[in-house]
Amino acid sequence: MAGDGHMVPELDQEKYDADENVKIICLGDSAVGKSKLMERFLVDGFRPQQLSTFALTLYKYTTTVDGKTILVDFWDTAGQERFQSMHASYYHKAHACIMVFDVQRKITYKNLNTWYQELREYRPEIPCIVVANKIDADLKVTQKNFNFAKKLNLPFYFVSAADGTNVVKLFTDAINLAVSYKQNSQDFMDQVMQELENFELEKKVEEEEEDISDKEEYDNHLAKPHTA
Amino acid sequence: MAYHAKKCGIRFQPPAIVLIYKEQAKEKDRQRIMPVRNFSKFSDCIRAAEQLKNNPRHKQFLERVSLQQLEKLCAVLKGHLQGQNLTESLQKIQQETVLDHDEDLNKLDDKELKKRKSLMDKLFEKNCKKKDDPEFVYDIEVEFPQAAQQESCGWDDGSDIEF
Repeated sequence: MAGDGHMVPELDQEKYDADENVKIICLGDSAVGKSKLMERFLVDGFRPQQLSTFALTLYKYTTTVDGKTILVDFWDTAGQERFQSMHASYYHKAHACIMVFDVQRKITYKNLNTWYQELREYRPEIPCIVVANKIDADLKVTQKNFNFAKKLNLPFYFVSAADGTNVVKLFTDAINLAVSYKQNSQDFMDQVMQELENFELEKKVEEEEEDISDKEEYDNHLAKPHTA
Repeated sequence: MAYHAKKCGIRFQPPAIVLIYKEQAKEKDRQRIMPVRNFSKFSDCIRAAEQLKNNPRHKQFLERVSLQQLEKLCAVLKGHLQGQNLTESLQKIQQETVLDHDEDLNKLDDKELKKRKSLMDKLFEKNCKKKDDPEFVYDIEVEFPQAAQQESCGWDDGSDIEF
């Protein structure tokens, strides 16, 4: 469940509900250059926060969008991607996703499928950008046609973390997409998920109540705080 | 001092790096034999290469020989000491210095993944524009027009994308 995020105590994900906070996640196979892209975008301003217990690196960035200050948290994997799956809390409350593959390695392109499916399981509606990294290795790839993004109607960028091509554009666009998603989305699935969570909570409380009333007196039952 | 390195090789017995070079303003090629000392089948090739490169007596001759080449020659020597023939040694070196683009890096442990990443870093460093480079530009936007993307990447086979 996406609600698992609450189980991670040091990670306050409640803040992502505040208007000025957005969360952008990076996905993709090992060694496609996710961290290198982050570092190129943040150049000297990067102070990554390593959360090794969660195999996770956080990069903080402050910017303005339409005159408003926006605090961005970029979430980057730190080895967890090796299991070709991320913990639910990674996706929890994310407002946009940057999905990266390495133009030199077919398998990283093929695996976009798996990443995308998992993303959509947790975040059915958030904007997702597909990124072809390492074009500096062979510029000819930029004349080729990569169908994955086109089929899914997703924005697609050719970038190079090494020489910097389109890196700033990618991140600026991702932030704008995240902010506008947050402001405008009447994300139906989000609401459904929320309802489901509430529903499950209520159900749990009810079950507890039943358990208790089986064993204990009615008074005791009333005194029990209704938390799950 | 200009010594122009022309060729660099290895001698197994006794172990030595052999350099063919030309001295500036002189006609003839010369040969220099530089012993590789205290080297065993357990030695670290990177360290051995560094020692040669920093050796005050050889330094100026090896200026134009890359550390990678010396490292590779030491690896051939090491292979020989381990009883491999030349073809086997070269194959092994090839595997360790050339990235296999079809390998699934998700399946490697930390140590192996680190090795592959350091191979990739070579290309990265080569093409990298650092922020203190006078030519560094922070925001570089390049349009790659879709109209020019005629050829397929060859990685889409239609059936496996089910969305």
